[in-house]
Amino acid sequence: MIFILPFVYILLMAVKTKQEAALFLFAWPSEWRAWENLVEVVQTRNYMLLLAYFNSTVITLGAVTLLVIFGAMVGYVLQRRRSPWNRVVYVFLLIGLMVPPAVVPTIWVLQNLGLFKTIHGMILIQVAYGLSFAVLLYRSFIASIPRALDEAAIIDGARPWQVFFRVILPLLKPVTVTLIVVQSVAIFNDFTNPLYYLPGRENVTVQLTLFNFQSQFQSQYNLLFMNILLVTIPPLLVFVFCNRQIVAGMTSGGVKG
Amino acid sequence: MSSVVLSDLCKSFGAIDVIRGVDLVIEPGEFCVFVGPSGCGKSTLLRLIAGLEEATSGTIRIDGKDVTDAEPSARGIAMVFQNYALYPHLTVRDNIGFGLSLARRPKAEIRARVEAAAEALQLTHLLDRKPKELSGGQRQRVAIGRAIVRDPKVFLFDEPLSNLDAALRAQMRIELSDLHRKLGATMIYVTHDQVEAMTMADKIVVLNGGRIEQVGSPITLYDTPASPFVAGFIGSPRMNLYDGRAVGESCATYGIRPEHLKLTDMAPRWRGTVRHVERLGADTVIHLDVPDLGDMVVRADGDRNPPIGSMLGISPLPGREHRFP
Ligand SMILES: Nc1ncnc2c1ncn2[C@@H]1O[C@H](COP(=O)(O)OP(=O)(O)OP(=O)(O)O)[C@@H](O)[C@H]1O
Ligand SMILES: [Mg+2]
Repeated sequence: MIFILPFVYILLMAVKTKQEAALFLFAWPSEWRAWENLVEVVQTRNYMLLLAYFNSTVITLGAVTLLVIFGAMVGYVLQRRRSPWNRVVYVFLLIGLMVPPAVVPTIWVLQNLGLFKTIHGMILIQVAYGLSFAVLLYRSFIASIPRALDEAAIIDGARPWQVFFRVILPLLKPVTVTLIVVQSVAIFNDFTNPLYYLPGRENVTVQLTLFNFQSQFQSQYNLLFMNILLVTIPPLLVFVFCNRQIVAGMTSGGVKG
Repeated sequence: MSSVVLSDLCKSFGAIDVIRGVDLVIEPGEFCVFVGPSGCGKSTLLRLIAGLEEATSGTIRIDGKDVTDAEPSARGIAMVFQNYALYPHLTVRDNIGFGLSLARRPKAEIRARVEAAAEALQLTHLLDRKPKELSGGQRQRVAIGRAIVRDPKVFLFDEPLSNLDAALRAQMRIELSDLHRKLGATMIYVTHDQVEAMTMADKIVVLNGGRIEQVGSPITLYDTPASPFVAGFIGSPRMNLYDGRAVGESCATYGIRPEHLKLTDMAPRWRGTVRHVERLGADTVIHLDVPDLGDMVVRADGDRNPPIGSMLGISPLPGREHRFP
């Protein structure tokens, strides 16, 4: 109930008229203006919201894909290979998990690489921020997969990359689903990082539209809430559809032979 | 059919020498069993042959070819693991055909070969199940099917039956022996179960501390063990072993098997007090306390049931005593 109430409030506000919304009451709208409000929000500033959706989707898809692949690969190598470098990598991972990122130097690095204000630069930033978590998550899960499985595949004639893609990666599905959900929601909803690293009108992300629109919709709270509603829907869908798999992924202990 | 020849094979993990100079010839088509106490290096030796561990020194030849540094898949071997190591996400069909699909064989050929292997192991009705929907014995069959389908020169088994219950183990023992006869392939089998070793092997290799203690046919090892270690390891209940001086012999160690002792009142060599009696039906295993020697185990007829604490006379059968220098 506590989770649903704000949603209901947003929903109600989003379909009201301008005058009614300005009252901020938790009341039934006298007039349903859902479609009109929707069209108006989408059309604002030259269809900025659609562009934002596109950008956010590209960033989320790109970053999550890279996170899954690199996270699983690094986690695999880290867990299976015994080498003195493991410790070094491990320390770096922990640092990556604990030390907050410094914004200004990062921007400076991005500028030097020519990645500042670009979508792929943003993707790399998100990957960098999420990778430690992904690697540690995968590493601990891979530890529960018996090594004999790798060896059986090697004897069956699998090259190292085949062992990974055809035996290990499919077994990581529960973690992968969890990671995809958690990270895609986080990246899609991210506000500050795009604000720092992705300025520019053509680069807006969904969360930034809120920021931009807030000034414009000052007296039109119905539209602001319609915007909020639209921004909230995709993560909500992900959660609704993947809920069961997330729980499965978080509780499953691993693989029994 | 291929031979496997190990010469002066050594393996160390860091400072620990696990395999310390093994020389062994396994003839083509032979069923060779490695036995030994836990931690003596049986699995390590098998994994060296498989190519899962790298030899520190020495050479491995399969079918006359030096494969010491070859990839596992290039050695013509197949391996069955103790915990089956089936791919949990694949069906039985895909598990068995995994190696063939990696080798990019045509779909029709994979199908035919998988089905032939499944047929031989009575797995046909299970082909579309996942490993977790199978019983232990069925999983083990799938693992064997995965080995068969690769048509290897040498089969390697690492304690394949140790996770099964006693009845199933006895059945699988027979099935494996049949399979060996049918395929005629060279098989190397690791176990610590000496019944498996005695019943299945053409040749038993007894390992101790990373070295070969003795090699021979089961009967050779039973009749003429080369050392007290082998004598104690082969045969059940295990051989009674005593210090030579305690029994009035000139050798260092004197051994006599429980089944080669007879209970007698006519001028017995030893007398002992009955401490414990195990009635197995077909025979009775009697544990006695013999003054100056300690424990002595005698295997007697099934109808013997001496009361605990009674005094019995024991004599060795002539020609069945073992004297180790
Ligand atoms: N990867 C490894 N690193 C270090 N030591 C190892 C490794 N593998 C095995 N050993 C050591 O080598 C010795 C022999 O191990 P191995 O597994 O071959 O024994 P085993 O004869 O198969 O015993 P069991 O009957 O218990 O299976 C053991 O002392 C073990 O601790
Ligand atoms: Mg072992």
